[in-house]
Amino acid sequence: MMPLLRLDGVSRVYRTGGGMFGRGSLVRAVDRVSLDVAPGQTLGIVGESGCGKSTTGRLALGLEAPDEGSVRFRDAPLPAPGTAPWRAMRRDMQLVFQDPLGALDRRLTIAAQIAEPLDIHGIGGKSERQDRVAALLRDVGLRPDQAAQHPHELSGGQRQRAVLARALATDPALLVCDEPISALDVSIQAQVVNMLADIQAARGVALVFISHDLKVVRQVSHDVAVMYLGRVVERGDPDIVFATPAHPYTQALISAVPVPGHRQRARIVLQGEPPNPANRPTGCAFHPRCPQAMPRCAAEDPAVTTLPDGRAVACHLAETPSRIAA
Amino acid sequence: MFRFLAIRFGRAALTIVLVVTFAFIVLRLSGDPAVAIMSPEAPPEALAAFRRAWGLDQPIWVQYFRYFGAIAQGELGQSMRDGRPAIVLVLERIPATLMLTIPAFILKVGLGVPAGIQAALHRNSFTDRAVMTMAVAGFTVPSFVLGLILVLVFAVQLGWLPSGGQESWRSAILPVITMGLGGAGVLARFTRSAMLEVLGQPFIRTASAKGVPWPQVVRGHALPNAAIPTVTIVGFMVGSLIAGAVVVESVFSWPGVGRLLVVAVGNRDLAVVQCILLLVACTMVAANLTVDLLYGVLDPRMRARKS
Amino acid sequence: MTHNLVTIRGLGVAFNGVPALRGIDLDVGKGEAVGLVGESGSGKSVTWLAALGLLPATAKVSGSVTLGHEELLGAPPARLDAVRGGRIAMIFQDPVSALNPVHRIGKQIEEALRLHRGITGAAARAEAIRLLEQVGIPDPRRRIDIFPHEMSGGQNQRVVIAMALAGQPELLVADEPTTALDATIQAQILDLLRRLRAETGMALVLISHDLGVVADMCDRVGVTYAGRIVEQAPADRLFAAPAHPYTAGLLAALPELDGPRRRLAAIPGFVPEPWAMPPGCAFAPRCPIASALCDAGPPPRASIGDGHEVACLQPSTPGVFAAASTPMTVRA
Repeated sequence: MMPLLRLDGVSRVYRTGGGMFGRGSLVRAVDRVSLDVAPGQTLGIVGESGCGKSTTGRLALGLEAPDEGSVRFRDAPLPAPGTAPWRAMRRDMQLVFQDPLGALDRRLTIAAQIAEPLDIHGIGGKSERQDRVAALLRDVGLRPDQAAQHPHELSGGQRQRAVLARALATDPALLVCDEPISALDVSIQAQVVNMLADIQAARGVALVFISHDLKVVRQVSHDVAVMYLGRVVERGDPDIVFATPAHPYTQALISAVPVPGHRQRARIVLQGEPPNPANRPTGCAFHPRCPQAMPRCAAEDPAVTTLPDGRAVACHLAETPSRIAA
Repeated sequence: MFRFLAIRFGRAALTIVLVVTFAFIVLRLSGDPAVAIMSPEAPPEALAAFRRAWGLDQPIWVQYFRYFGAIAQGELGQSMRDGRPAIVLVLERIPATLMLTIPAFILKVGLGVPAGIQAALHRNSFTDRAVMTMAVAGFTVPSFVLGLILVLVFAVQLGWLPSGGQESWRSAILPVITMGLGGAGVLARFTRSAMLEVLGQPFIRTASAKGVPWPQVVRGHALPNAAIPTVTIVGFMVGSLIAGAVVVESVFSWPGVGRLLVVAVGNRDLAVVQCILLLVACTMVAANLTVDLLYGVLDPRMRARKS
Repeated sequence: MTHNLVTIRGLGVAFNGVPALRGIDLDVGKGEAVGLVGESGSGKSVTWLAALGLLPATAKVSGSVTLGHEELLGAPPARLDAVRGGRIAMIFQDPVSALNPVHRIGKQIEEALRLHRGITGAAARAEAIRLLEQVGIPDPRRRIDIFPHEMSGGQNQRVVIAMALAGQPELLVADEPTTALDATIQAQILDLLRRLRAETGMALVLISHDLGVVADMCDRVGVTYAGRIVEQAPADRLFAAPAHPYTAGLLAALPELDGPRRRLAAIPGFVPEPWAMPPGCAFAPRCPIASALCDAGPPPRASIGDGHEVACLQPSTPGVFAAASTPMTVRA
């Protein structure tokens, strides 16, 4: 099947530090990332802060232009940010991020905010828009009377539902969700996760789901990418990736997730912290923290290897599959 | 560090040039000094001679470059009124102005900062409301109104203090209070909000949680952080030591720089006005530079950014 | 119960007349690791802020908190200052803002050493270096003179922990100590806390919204809901056989890292607002097995054996959230 969205070797380079006269240094926030999203499916992106997962989401939406590589949506290149064709395209691609209160206008009612994208893109007449807002509210599980309320009158979970309703108003083909449930309580997270699954089943919208929470990502994703320091280090079917991670970083990440009832599991505790992207280690960027690093890892950048189960792994160990620690 | 200073000094110099240029243009456009100084009825030949003598008949850009050329040589021009060097006229007046502004500055800081701290520490208490009411009154009532009220009460009604002039130290009391109260109000409000902001920070709770007694939390943890924003506004007050007394000096007929400025503007005495503005710009810029450097001393995060 | 280090009885807190805690009973034994889980606003943090007198003066606190034989509620400030950071240390969620930005980290640790152990000068500096080493800060001799902003979040949390250890506390209260940190750093900090407990024998109260973290670290766990502890049990037992429908609901709402994927069993509705509490059990409006009896009054907490206590009229109903067993259809 033709992917809905395809990122082909995209990089995003920022210049940091340096003032008027300083040179600063170049930081590769995203480094030659290739990903694709099938229509109606969910791509999960996991990684720690600074790994480039949010920047990848912004590149996918065309909110930022890549410095290398290309982003194609429905097999056509993304128009440059800010141009008229780009704005028209926003109908089909929407963004939802962590803080629902920050994403909503405090002065407008929920209904007015949900109707806003319809106004912007000139969709439907007045009564048609009203019907659509009512239907959207129902889809995200808000009561009809909440349409007239203001953001501060809603709970955190209800606000995130309102944000989702607004994102869905234009019936987009792709929704990029950046940590959409991280600010919510456990019992509310489950409500929103279920709602996302229902909406996807009903509307066939594709999702890019960016989160640091591995359990939630596994729950919602058809395909998962693990990022470290701007690169995708492992990618594949979430059930396979999370059950038998191939990359030592994925292994550590998964073993770091505490699960009730699985006490005293053998845990891999990585030493040190993710390095500064401005100061990327040579060879494999993970080698200074990797419990299985070999001399070769410091010298040679691992190529992406495709395993027999369809997974893509960027690790020298994966090149000789028998050596992967299960 | 060196680069940081170089940039700062460059910016300061640019600010001074812009202020002086602006003053130059506004003054030239706002009236003919010859008419203002001699009189509208003076014979045209006399006016023309005056303009020629002061170079006012030249195109404005020629005047401008001559002016800057003179400044570069340390020459600030002569008063058009009595022909004495402008700088001398201005310097003569500075002690009188400082006699008001320095005590007023001490009053502002000595009253405003502690009042703001107390208000913040006892938020929503009677103290807080009283301090804030006074502070708002202090800086919303214009200084000429406050000055006149003080004169009415203490000079006219009670007859305790002189209403103007510069006869003795007693003449300075009312103008100092007039200036000090307004500034203290501004500073009290500012200090209070800076303090409240800091008191709400998690590290204050951490300090309490590790058993630091509350007075020490305030002194050792809250004040050093609240000082960082407060220093900015104190710096502005230092910057206005020279020129901050224009209104008050006029109300109390105090012979300081402010009064000189008012008179010189009325007369279109260009050299004197420009000389005062240059001086004011220099003190303001110097105060700003000091504030920037103090930031570095008070806030290690700024130090890191500079180097 | 003579070995209790801290005993909390009927602890209530109200802010401007609105109750935040509605009668907390909790014991912490010497050297024990107790977890408190619950959602935001359920009272798990406020309990310990109130116990240590760290709430603003506007909070009305009632009940009793005893440390050994000493009552802490209403104790004079000097006594509380001696307890805080001395016998009981508390650390918080965001390590970066928990340290004073204008003081060097060494100075902040030395302050605690001076207050609680009377160590000053070179001896304090040497001890601060030893503490930094103990919490795993590399090159502590040099790091002691840097400022908090010069370190990462994980290292800041290590410094905060070093500061807490300075007073050689018998109890460390850690309020969401790893929530602001990344997964691999969270694992490091939890590992550190586990090691320090083994080294010092101090008791630990771990406050978290993450059931996994608490399950992993604690001997005994209390579950808070709307200002009460609704269930308390040994950790293994609580997660294997939750007796309160809320605990069961929380566990069923969690996605899993392995096994077949299923639709999550979300608890319907949301936590009641503190000014609009239901008359009886606060969970009744969301509870699938609530009956008219549940509205009669708040159910008392009763023992159901083996140190397992639950505040529910119909405890231990397995499979309450039956939706949990329905397989999920996300596969393409």
